[in-house]
Amino acid sequence: MSVDFLHPGEGAAIDTNVPALELRGIDKRFPGVVALDNVDFTLEPGKIHALMGENGAGKSTLIKIMAGVYGKDAGTIRMCGREVDIKSPRDSLKEGIKVVFQEIALISEFTVAENIFLEGYPTGKGGSIDWKKIRADSAALFDRIGFNVDPAARTGSLPVSQQQMVEIARALAHEARVVVMDEPTSSLTPNEVSLLFTVIRRLAALGIAVVYVSHKLDEVFEIADMVTVLRDGRHISTKPIGEHTNDTLIHDMIGRRIDNLFPRKRGEPGSKVALFVEKLSTARKLNDVSFEARAGEVLGFFGLMGAGRTELAKAIVGYDPITSGMIVVDGSRLVPHDTRTGVKLGIGLLTEDRKSEGLMGELPVYQNASLASLGAFARMGFIDKAKEHRAVQDYVDRFRIKTPSLFQQVKNLSGGNQQKVLISRWLMRGLKVIVVDEPTRGIDVGAKSEIFALIDRLAGEGLAVVMMTSEMPELLGLSDRVAVMCEGRLTAIMSREEATQEKILNAAIG
Amino acid sequence: MSLASTASVKAPPSLLARLFARQELALLVCLILVIVFFSVTAENFFSMRNMTNVLGQASLALTAGIGCAIVFISGEVDISIGSLLATIALPLIIIMNDTNSLLLGVSGALLFGLIIGAVNGYLTAYAGINSLIVTLGTMFIMRGGVYLYTGQRAIPDDASLDSFIALSDGRLFNIIPYSAVIAIVLLAAFAYMMRHRPFGRQIYAVGGNPEVARLAGYDVRRVKFICFIISSLLATVAGIILAARVGSAQHTAGLNFEFQVVAATVLGGVSLAGGIGSLSGMALGVLILQFLSNGLRGLGLPTEWQLVITGMIIIAAVAFDEAKRRRAIGG
Ligand SMILES: Nc1ncnc2c1ncn2[C@@H]1O[C@H](COP(=O)(O)OP(=O)(O)OP(=O)(O)O)[C@@H](O)[C@H]1O
Ligand SMILES: [Mg+2]
Repeated sequence: MSVDFLHPGEGAAIDTNVPALELRGIDKRFPGVVALDNVDFTLEPGKIHALMGENGAGKSTLIKIMAGVYGKDAGTIRMCGREVDIKSPRDSLKEGIKVVFQEIALISEFTVAENIFLEGYPTGKGGSIDWKKIRADSAALFDRIGFNVDPAARTGSLPVSQQQMVEIARALAHEARVVVMDEPTSSLTPNEVSLLFTVIRRLAALGIAVVYVSHKLDEVFEIADMVTVLRDGRHISTKPIGEHTNDTLIHDMIGRRIDNLFPRKRGEPGSKVALFVEKLSTARKLNDVSFEARAGEVLGFFGLMGAGRTELAKAIVGYDPITSGMIVVDGSRLVPHDTRTGVKLGIGLLTEDRKSEGLMGELPVYQNASLASLGAFARMGFIDKAKEHRAVQDYVDRFRIKTPSLFQQVKNLSGGNQQKVLISRWLMRGLKVIVVDEPTRGIDVGAKSEIFALIDRLAGEGLAVVMMTSEMPELLGLSDRVAVMCEGRLTAIMSREEATQEKILNAAIG
Repeated sequence: MSLASTASVKAPPSLLARLFARQELALLVCLILVIVFFSVTAENFFSMRNMTNVLGQASLALTAGIGCAIVFISGEVDISIGSLLATIALPLIIIMNDTNSLLLGVSGALLFGLIIGAVNGYLTAYAGINSLIVTLGTMFIMRGGVYLYTGQRAIPDDASLDSFIALSDGRLFNIIPYSAVIAIVLLAAFAYMMRHRPFGRQIYAVGGNPEVARLAGYDVRRVKFICFIISSLLATVAGIILAARVGSAQHTAGLNFEFQVVAATVLGGVSLAGGIGSLSGMALGVLILQFLSNGLRGLGLPTEWQLVITGMIIIAAVAFDEAKRRRAIGG
């Protein structure tokens, strides 16, 4: 009673009359947090069910309960009408529940192919691993999906987007009854997203129930049959997507309306050049990139995957070495490949990969937030804790970072709330230039509007904001000027008035 | 698109660079260099007799090193193996003296090793105590126990079974010491397991990222538990060979042995952090250190100097490795 994506038609057909998975009255508490409160969630076979809600609403927690990662405090789980006891990921996998987790869960030392079959290696005679089959099947799987990933590559050496594709492929490598995707598209390009959607529709056609979590409303309207909304750990609504509009969905999610995602309060940018980059090249990617960003300006960089936005971001703040060119921050030349002078000159980077490059999961919220600005809280060599806590609390309130206290370990926050902590860190520092790389990745609409308002305010206060984004609305809604990259080169810079979606995409293709 | 610039950047690394990217090849080159160096400088070094002797001497560390490397790869450490060598000699010799049976003696020793492995594994994997602490503890307890039981006197092997003595001085085809044959067979079997059996891959996964392994449905605790048992059983085999060699159960047997093995394993590129390394790397590490110490002795250098040089080599090797890894990530 489950279906194999790679070899459809081999398993028994799925009974479409009984819910594939039925969660009833699920409760889950963490110290200081009620993550789920009496939540019901029913999945019909062959249906794509979106799970929506703000950061910290409990989506990932609900998924982790299905996946056996967390035990539930109360409630029942039924698979095809039969009550099941899911005590560990193993039990859940055996029931045919395959999850693409929000945070990448791959063994970085293994090859892509091996990661795909981690859950169960195909074995040949005598129980030895059939490596040939593993390589062939993973190549076939990528072929079927249309993703371009090398099965023989070492997983840890791949960019986040490709790792995400590996995660997705892995969920399809074995027989499944329920496939769950927790923000699977957070680092995919539009093209890859549409490939994924084709796959999801194919899964549904095979009778598999699909759960789809995303903060991108347009995606949800495109792909979902049903929508369930959670808020503060409670079930708010479950409806066919046809009964929702953008507004009703946002209202269900955050309990209020958002009128304008991009309110522009700041004036026009000044004339002072805050960041000046000339003929910048790096060994791997960038080729002769020149631009300037003025104080009070939001300069948006657009580009397709691999265009070199992240590389540019890292180079101009001094993270990565450069082969030629010059970077001037606020009139002083930045020493390449030296973050310390970067920080001193007042340029900071907000990374897209919060796990490996930003946050320290074991440390509490307040230390993660204040890390880059400890100097401001120091008094005679000691940290003024009270001052530090007040400053952090201020950001927690402003961004509505959902945490039981300043002392919670950051790894226990929901994905979106982790992102907010990271943003706070850099804002707290008082910078002249802030480089943000995909600032709203994995962030809910409510918080997005706050971050947009904040970027607007930062520019209003005289900072130069260099924003790398792959979100067109964000780019057009926020930027004073738009720069477009392709294959490591700058292909266009245009003013807000000139910029249209079409011109930008043309420049991005090169 | 500027093809010219990307092409020049992405030129494939040189053959030498690629060879050195494979840890084992770099180690193999080191081993050959060591052998060539001493063949030129030390008398009587490059002879069949000396080579096979070194192999025989290395067989203890090779055998126990398999277990040590497996535990490292699973993300834990086991430093109780030296004391285990001395401990299991007791049931071995006593049972053989009583029953005149090698089979019973060896079974008794293996059973003892199994129990110690289960204790180490249980306390680490299920009770959640740090494995360095657990095995440090069992190392002291076993050594102390042996001292107490023997009153610091050796218990001689009175049975003097031919088959037992053959373990120490017998040679296959009159060339390769049996102990080395045992080590090589075990090495091949476990290397195959680590590479081609699902359980071997589970060990790598558990050491590489326990949380991911759990999500993939692995029983992380069970995997670690079994790794400790494997380690103790292999150390038991090494202990049996050692007992045959000295012809008795000695309270000082295997003193500092765990550090020799750990040193060779680390030199062989097996990471203490887990998930990285191979048994062939470990074996090359053992051989390099063994040939080095044999060669230095051939040059007439006192043991004190061997220690100093070994220490420096280990630090240099790990530093080199670390630098290479960092370049691979950062570059
Ligand atoms: N292991 C944990 N320990 C303590 N609290 C936790 C833990 N995991 C989750 N929480 C808390 O439970 C709540 C729900 O988190 P969850 O990750 O389910 O949110 P989410 O809806 O997935 O949000 P996002 O959109 O940001 O990913 C949050 O307040 C979070 O801080
Ligand atoms: Mg989540």
